[in-house]
Amino acid sequence: MNEVDPRGQQARLWISWLVVSVLLGYGVVQTVITAAKLFTS
Amino acid sequence: MLSALDRGHTVAPPGYSRWLIPPAALAIHLCIGQVYATSVYKNSLIAHFDASQTAIGVIFSIAIVMLGLSAAVAGTWVEANGPRKAMFVSACFWAAGFLVGALGIATGQLWLLYLGYGVLGGIGLGIGYISPVSTLIKWFPDRPGLATGLAIMGFGGGAMVASPLSRQLLSFYDPGYDPANAGSTASGSALVWLFVTLGVGYFLIMMFGVFNVRVPAPDWRPAGFDPAQVAAKPLVTAANVSAANAVKTRSFWLLWVVLFCNVTAGIGILEQASPMIQDFFRDNGASAVSVAAAGGFVGLLSLFNMAGRFVWSSTSDVIGRKPIYLVYLGVGMVLYALLALVGHAATALFVLLACVILSFYGGGFATVPAYLRDLFGTFQVGAIHGRLLTAWSAAGIAGPLIVNGFLDAQGEPGTLTAAAYRPALFTMVGVLAVGFIANLLIRPVPERFHEPAARDVAGDVETETAQRSGTR
Repeated sequence: MNEVDPRGQQARLWISWLVVSVLLGYGVVQTVITAAKLFTS
Repeated sequence: MLSALDRGHTVAPPGYSRWLIPPAALAIHLCIGQVYATSVYKNSLIAHFDASQTAIGVIFSIAIVMLGLSAAVAGTWVEANGPRKAMFVSACFWAAGFLVGALGIATGQLWLLYLGYGVLGGIGLGIGYISPVSTLIKWFPDRPGLATGLAIMGFGGGAMVASPLSRQLLSFYDPGYDPANAGSTASGSALVWLFVTLGVGYFLIMMFGVFNVRVPAPDWRPAGFDPAQVAAKPLVTAANVSAANAVKTRSFWLLWVVLFCNVTAGIGILEQASPMIQDFFRDNGASAVSVAAAGGFVGLLSLFNMAGRFVWSSTSDVIGRKPIYLVYLGVGMVLYALLALVGHAATALFVLLACVILSFYGGGFATVPAYLRDLFGTFQVGAIHGRLLTAWSAAGIAGPLIVNGFLDAQGEPGTLTAAAYRPALFTMVGVLAVGFIANLLIRPVPERFHEPAARDVAGDVETETAQRSGTR
């Protein structure tokens, strides 16, 4: 079995976590905006 | 080409980073978590089909029932075929569900929406939910709670992504639709395009998970990890139990009761959250909490539900699975009692109590795969998890039934006060007490249920003979 290319894997790690962070971050920010209405309304 | 999906072709090469597996799992769970955002377009579907609330609401119910059934039935298949094929099948069913649903909306055939989103999508949900669990546990034998907490946190986060995204997409496809106005409904064509966009988009994101997921080689261990140290903890076995044998054990059914009680109590609040906060602060018929503020409260609960999945499940790696469930259930009983007795004293107190309760609800979901690993080993933990999720389906019926049953007896919606909730909340204290006792009764699985020390499991040769014998 071939060894993993460390540089390729590093890029893959960055992209993977970036994709899920952007998705999750979008959801969290939008929900925080909604939740803020509890304290402002 | 499809052979690339086989378990044998997904064994990680030496040096493969295990930190690529949580984002692969999150890619699946963030997508299927959309199922809790169906209320966003519910009114638009009602208007489009000129159907009743029940006729549209049943789409969600079919999906959740299919989730429980497919997780229970397909669990063994998922274990045998590996996470990549399972994730691919899940992505196909989930995307097909949206596309068939879109066809149903376009042609005005409601039964196609039941078949598409409900049945096909529900199968994708069930397979997708359990597909990364056993793989994560095998990659993170030192921190299984953290690993499964990360993935299952994604399921909570999925609705938080899908709700605003669906509103924005509907506004884009139908400029006449105003998401800020509760009475506004989107056109049928906007709904069709929403379903097509979500189906295609989710398929692509899930393929990202399919592409990255790997199973560890049978002899792989994290650097510095000593299995003997983990196995030395109370209740943690190094033996393995098959799914068929697991359901014959007392511990499985006690854990079923634990999950059922924890979810029943949480769903009771979650399902009623918006009217509940308004009713708790109602004076002379008018509530001090506006509709917008109540919506904010629901959003805050979603955040704590999601955060609890990660925080409490990770904590369980440190303090143990049984103690953390004693916290969920024992402290939960105290919090429910406080909510019933003094929750109406101040909005901040009410919100604080409800948020901690919801974090325990999420934590209960996220910690249970690691609890199963402790009790039954890694051999078929995904399949056992699938069977245990029937407790979720049952709780999904019991929780709302308990709360709504009591509230119906107290008066009309919009006229209730904090006192009307006390019988339901004290019933939840009793439900949690049952779960607390069930958790105390959980014991290690008897040796007669263990698998033989060395066996070939779907091409994944188990060679942990020496480690298994130590903790029986």
